[in-house]
Order: sequence, then C-alpha cells, then structure tokens
Amino acid sequence: MDGERRLTSSVDVKARQSAADRIRKSFEEIAKAVLAGEEPKLIIPRRTLSNTIYSTEKGILVLGSATFERSFVDAKESRKFMQTMLMARIIYEALINNEYPTIRDLFYRGKHSIRYRDHRGRIGEENTWDEQKESDSVLRDIEVYVNLLREEMLILSKEKGKVVGDMRIRSGDDVIDLSKMGHGAYSIEPTPDLIEFIDVNAEFVLVVEKDAVFQQLHRAGFWRKYRAILITSAGQPDRATRRFVRRLNEELNLPVYILTDADPYGWYIYSVFRIGSITLSYESERLATPNSKFLGVSMTDIFGSSQRNKKPYLSESERRNFIIRAKKTDIKRAQELLNYEWFKTEGWKREISLFMEKQSKLEIEALTGKGLYFLADTYIPTKIELKDFIE
Amino acid sequence: MSTLEKFRAISPAEFFYRNKEIAGFSNPARALYQSVRELLENALDATDAHGILPNIEVSIDRDTSKPVVYRITVKDNGIGIPEKYIPEAFGRVLFSSKYVLRQTRGLFGLGAKMIVLYGQITVGEPAEIVSATMGSRKVYSYRISIDVKENKPIILQRGVWPNTTGWHGTIVKIAVEGDWGRAKQKILDYVRRTAIVTPYANLVLRTPDEEIYTYPRVTDKLPPPPRETHPHPHGIDIEMLKIMAGETEEQTLLDFISNEFQGVGRVIAERFLRDYGFKLDKNPKELSKEELEAMAKALKEFGEFRKPRAEHLSPIGADLVKIGLNSILKPEFVDAITLKPVVYEGHAVIVEVGLAYGGAIEPSDEPQLLRFANKIPLLYDEKSDVSWKVVSENIDWSYYEIAFPAPIAILTHICGTKIPYKGVGKESVAEVPVIEHALEEGVRHVARSLKLYLTRKQREEEYMRKAITIIKYIPEVSSALTSFLSSNPEPVDPKAIEDGLFELVKKRYGEHIKELPHPRSIVLSVE
Repeated sequence: MDGERRLTSSVDVKARQSAADRIRKSFEEIAKAVLAGEEPKLIIPRRTLSNTIYSTEKGILVLGSATFERSFVDAKESRKFMQTMLMARIIYEALINNEYPTIRDLFYRGKHSIRYRDHRGRIGEENTWDEQKESDSVLRDIEVYVNLLREEMLILSKEKGKVVGDMRIRSGDDVIDLSKMGHGAYSIEPTPDLIEFIDVNAEFVLVVEKDAVFQQLHRAGFWRKYRAILITSAGQPDRATRRFVRRLNEELNLPVYILTDADPYGWYIYSVFRIGSITLSYESERLATPNSKFLGVSMTDIFGSSQRNKKPYLSESERRNFIIRAKKTDIKRAQELLNYEWFKTEGWKREISLFMEKQSKLEIEALTGKGLYFLADTYIPTKIELKDFIE
Repeated sequence: MSTLEKFRAISPAEFFYRNKEIAGFSNPARALYQSVRELLENALDATDAHGILPNIEVSIDRDTSKPVVYRITVKDNGIGIPEKYIPEAFGRVLFSSKYVLRQTRGLFGLGAKMIVLYGQITVGEPAEIVSATMGSRKVYSYRISIDVKENKPIILQRGVWPNTTGWHGTIVKIAVEGDWGRAKQKILDYVRRTAIVTPYANLVLRTPDEEIYTYPRVTDKLPPPPRETHPHPHGIDIEMLKIMAGETEEQTLLDFISNEFQGVGRVIAERFLRDYGFKLDKNPKELSKEELEAMAKALKEFGEFRKPRAEHLSPIGADLVKIGLNSILKPEFVDAITLKPVVYEGHAVIVEVGLAYGGAIEPSDEPQLLRFANKIPLLYDEKSDVSWKVVSENIDWSYYEIAFPAPIAILTHICGTKIPYKGVGKESVAEVPVIEHALEEGVRHVARSLKLYLTRKQREEEYMRKAITIIKYIPEVSSALTSFLSSNPEPVDPKAIEDGLFELVKKRYGEHIKELPHPRSIVLSVE
C-alpha cells in the first residue's frame, strides 16, 4: 500500500519520539565507551526482594538504591550483556519503525543462533535466548536502566482487564462509550497512558478479581444502579489494568474498592493493586493505587465479629456448605504475608489471625449462591455504606 | 672392546630339539615372529652398539608356490662380519663366553644360527649372507647350511666382488616355515615398539601383503654403547667361577680376585682372602672342587666389596624415550625418567619409565603398557610382569586425576647384565622388590608431571573457555551498538566496535588467547 502507511495518533508519535531518544542516548554512551577503549558496562538498579522497600510515606513498594554492574568482559555477565544490547536494539528499532511489538514478538525477533568454535575447536551453537523468561528479564533491566516502562516504549502485553461504566474515553482516534458495550466490555488497552478521559458519571470504582462475577454484576445492571465503574482483572492484575485503575483514582478522584476471594491469594491481588508487586516494584510509582480499599470478602463477613458487634453474612448452614478448608500452602502464604510491612496493620492482623484460627477460605461466587441479587444489592452496597473494608 | 666374541661349541641339533619351545620356535607363527625378531636385534646390535646410526630394512616374502614358506631378508649398515667368521657365525651353533658381561639384546646367544637351523629343517634352503666390514675393499657372499651331526657349516657357494661404494653391513636371507596371518599383529607390534626405543634408526618393514611400514629417524642422538665389564663377586656362581679360574692368565689368587672382578681393589682382595683362609699366592687353576665351592659362597657373602657399578650399561635415556614416544604415539604430553641404578644379585640394573598422554593415543580402560628389557620389546605375558603389577595395582591413578578410560601409555625399560625373567619364555620380569620399587618411583615421577601438566592445561583451557564465552558475543553486541550510533554525523563501521571489544577482551585474557587472531575466527555465523 502506498500513501500514508499508518494512521498514528499525535500522542503516540510524541511518546514514540521521546522513548526512542531516551534509549538511544543511554546506549550511545556504551558504544562511545568502547570506541574510547573503555570497558562497556551497565549499572542497573537491583530488582531483588532485598532492594524492594515499602515506602510508608507513599504507601507503595519502591526500588531501593542498590545497583549492580553488568560488564561485557566478565565471562559470567557477558551473555546477559549481549541479551540486553540485543533487546535494546530491537525496542529502539521498533520505535523508529512505528511498530507495536508484544513481549512475545520481542522474544522471537531477538531469538537466533550463534555458531562458534569452542575452546576445544568443536563447533557449538547457542541461542541468543532460549525462553521468553530470559528476554522478559532483560526487558525489565532495560525498563529500570533507561527509566521507562514498557508501555512508554509502546510494547504491548496481553490484555486481560475489562471495564464497563458510564464513561467515555478516546483511544487512538476513536471515542468509545463504555456504557454502550452490550453484554461485552471494553478491553483495557496495553498502553493505558494513551487513553484520554472525556467525561465520566460515576461515584466509585469496583474491581472484582473474578471475570465470572464481573459478568454477573454487569448483566444485573450493577454499575448503572450504583453509579460505578466496574472492572475485572481476571485474576492477577496485568500492568495495563493497574495503570488504568490508578489513573481513575488519581485523575478522576474516584475511590477504588477491591473484591476478591477470601484467601491469601485474593489478599495478595489486593496488595498488588494497592502497593505494587515485589518483582516489579520499579513500576509501582506509576501503577499502584495506594488508597484503594479491600472491600471483601473478609473473614468477619463469613464468621461475624462479636468484638465489633458484626453479624456474619452467611448463616450457620450456608457456612457449612460454602467454605473450603484451607490448604497447607494457603497457611504458609498467609504467614508470609504477615512478614510484609504493609500487612502489619490492625485490620490485616485481625483478618489473617481469624483465617489462621478458622483455617477456612471462601470464593466470591459463594455469595451469589445466596441468590442472584444478594451480592449486587445487599452485600456490596452495605459494605460500602458501613465503610466495612480493610486498608 | 674386541668386536669378536669368544665362542664355545656344543652340539646344535641336540640343543635345538631340547630347546625349541624355550627358543621360541614352538609353532610356525611363533617361529616367524622369533626369526624376524632375532635378525632385527642382531642388526641393531651391529649398528647402535658401535656408534652407527642404524638403517635397517626387513622384508618378508611369501613363496609363490608354497604358501607356508617365507623368505626373511634383513639388511643393515652395521659393522659387518669379517669374511673368515661368516661361515662360523651362521653355520655353527655357538655360545658366547660368560667370562665377560655385556648388556646385549640377544636373549639366548644363539641369534641367527637358530634360524638357519630351523629353516633348514622346515624348508631346506641354504641361508644367504652378504657382508662387508668397515673399510673393506671387498664384499663377500655365502650360501650356507649346517652339517647337523658335525656341527659345522657347509659352504655351498662363495662370492667376492669389489666394494665400489664403500658399503658396510650385513644382508641375511633365510627361508623358514611360518604363518604370517597369525604372526602379523605381533610382528607389526614388535617393529613399532622397537621404533619407539630407537628413534635414531631408520626402520623399514615390507610385509608379504606388500605393505610398507617406515619409521624414519627423528634424531641423530645415540645412547652410549654398552661396554664389557668384569662380573661383580656377589653375582657369581660355582660354574662361572670354575670357568673364570680355568681361563684366567693370572698366576695368584690375589691377582685373580683383584683384576678379574669389579668392585674389588687390592686391599679388599687381600682382606677377603685372609678372612676366608685362602692363600694369596695360590694359582687359581689349582683350586679344588671344594675350594671353588667355598670361594663362590664367600664371594657372595663378603660385605666389603664396592657396590656394582652401572657405567657399562646402556640405558636409552630419558630424552630418547621422550623423542621415541612422541614420534610413534603422537601424544600431546610426554615425560620420561632414568632412575638411579639398583643392584640385583650382584648385577647393576637401571630402570627407565616413560609416559605418553592424549593426542593420537586411543583411550582405554587400563593404561597401555609398553615393556622393554635391554631395549627389546616384551609382548607376551603382560599380566604377570612386575611392570603390570606396578601400573595396575601399586598406583592409584585417581590420585593423579586420571579417570579411565584414559589415553595413557606407560613405557618401562629394565636394563642390566642380568634381568630376573619369569619362566623360560623370557617375556615377563619377576616381582623383585628393588626393581618393583624403582619402577614405582619412576611411574610416580612421570605421573606427577602429567598431573601438573593437566592442571596447568585445565587452567589455560578455563581461561580460553571464558574468553571465548565473551568473544562469541562480539558480533552481536557490536551490531547492536552500531545501531545506536546511526544518527552520528559520521557513520561508524561495526568493525571498529568489534575491534574495540576484542581489544578489551585481549586486555583481560591477553596471555591465554594469543593464538586467537580475530573474533570472526570464533564466530562462524550469526543467523
């Protein structure tokens, strides 16, 4: 095709240009060092648990100041160094060529074999990388090295998050009305920073862990009735969903409530939304929503609390039918969570110790077992009204 | 020394029939092997023992009409045989005198005569001998057979012609009954092993299969020739003493003891004779049988003689062992040692050990053992030899970081005027403690130096491996880096970055990667 090859929105062009410049500047220096006879090395912030700090001030996980050196002439590091250069080059060229690679694309573009003669004269063959794990790892290194998130480098990830609500947005050159999605929903695009909010008619954001529950609430007309933006992360939230939620909270001042299963995995999903993940703490600054609230399902929703004069939402017989015995791995995970700084609040200590005591967990779907509209019209509105959530 | 030995005749036919097995002629295969070996050893004794760099050709031809008949021809450039001794040397079974001792290759002192006799019995053709001594103006040829009853040569033809080229040496051609098919491997092995310890020789072997094996000379260095020496008193027995006393020209016991034995001075000889009650001025020829017996016992017993010396022996020498192992086995590592002489029953014995590792040597589950005694390869009865015991039992190879299968060959050489052979076949050496200890010491010495070599090589390899780990990524990294420089006003050649990176690797591993010219010699392609 001739003529204009691509219709690129102006936001896109700007983002592209600045990311490409930043990458070129960072790596040009390495090339110049080599030409000047200096050892090429990268000084990269460490992405380890020990260099992940919980900032009480910001309420999120941030990367500490520890760095490590990756030198090409160090036999232990040279492969990683080569991979980093290869990845940087692929990203840079994709930016210049107006492309939107996914992380899988990056993996395939860079994967090829190097044939060489080894120290015993035998012919050896080695792939630049064998698994996507390797290319993903150097991609993260580049994110922290040039201080740009992959979204800012216009790298797409698989989209998983969905949203509906009384709201209009601009994506690319189209305006999308999120209240007119029928039984479907808008897939949160991998570059949420390129989304422009046009207008919104909502009082809060509800994020549910389970896609099935999201669909039930959507069909029950929950978001229209209670003026909510309804989102699902469909399990562990991806980066785009987290960034989108963060922008709703930060730019539109909407409170964010999170609804997950009543188990340590549900709690961790909440924790990722709120303070960030340990492996990707460098992105928390832009992805975490520190004032989001854990709406439920909480242990006291199941068992009640005489201390707080709270009645349970489930009757004795419902409890018997719906709760699941916690597994050993659940218990272990709960104990780990107690070690994290950000789970050391009164509310969470109470929640986790009740879990340990009862050794029971519950899925959100159990609540719909009480009747289709119980969740939508009783449980959620009551919890929000009574401010019965954990922070 | 006089190149002519002193001889004593016995009945050949009788000896031969009594000793066919012992002498190694028990079957056609063994007989062919034994014949080649005796003639080759004679040829070597006629050359290197006299300071001549040997050129020796061995041909084995199969008779066209009688397939069990083989004609063996051995040609050397040795000292030659004086014309008048040619019939005697090939036509009469003789014994060397034992009055003087000398390290020789020949095992039985029979050599070529045995083959002439064997050939005569099995095939019936006369032996052909052509020879010229050094400086002789004539070349002589003889066709000889043996009169078995009379034990004397029958000369069937004699020829003389002028020596126009100044040639010296001997050509022997004898037809024997043999079995090439079954002897082939042993003969090839024998010649090859001989070549290992005679790297200063040109050896050519032509087989009945028309194959030619050549082992060219790789050094001009010869080991010092062995010399004759008097026997040491501790190595004497009654028979020997009787012969010596009967043949000596000395008139008194004092002169006899102090002049005809090694390690004995006049003062010591006088003390010895007085201690044991012998008259100093008695004529040795007048000793009675009882006196001879008493004296033989006393000579063995007396502790004040000097130790037997080894100067008259001719070890191969560590250098030649290394040269030989290198040229025949083509290993990557070689070492050898000549140990200090030890004493075995009054005879000095020198042990030498060599080791070859890697290269063209095939890995095997046990060390490859190359045994030699007085420069002769020992091919049979390996497992009952003292060298095998040392190599397989006494040495724990894992201590030297050798894990089998390994490409390793051990050479052992025992030389002396008396070798403690096990059994009559003389193919293996007995477990005599002094010799076993010397062998073990030698093997440990060369094994230690192998361990050192391997450790160093491993370290070097590790550096090389590390350097290559880095170098193999250079083309990838430089092409990536070049792409970031594409906005430069002046385009940068990826080669410049490649060179820059290679220089940096050289800076770190310089010593160890000298032989690497360029990254492109490592990286074959990037696909």
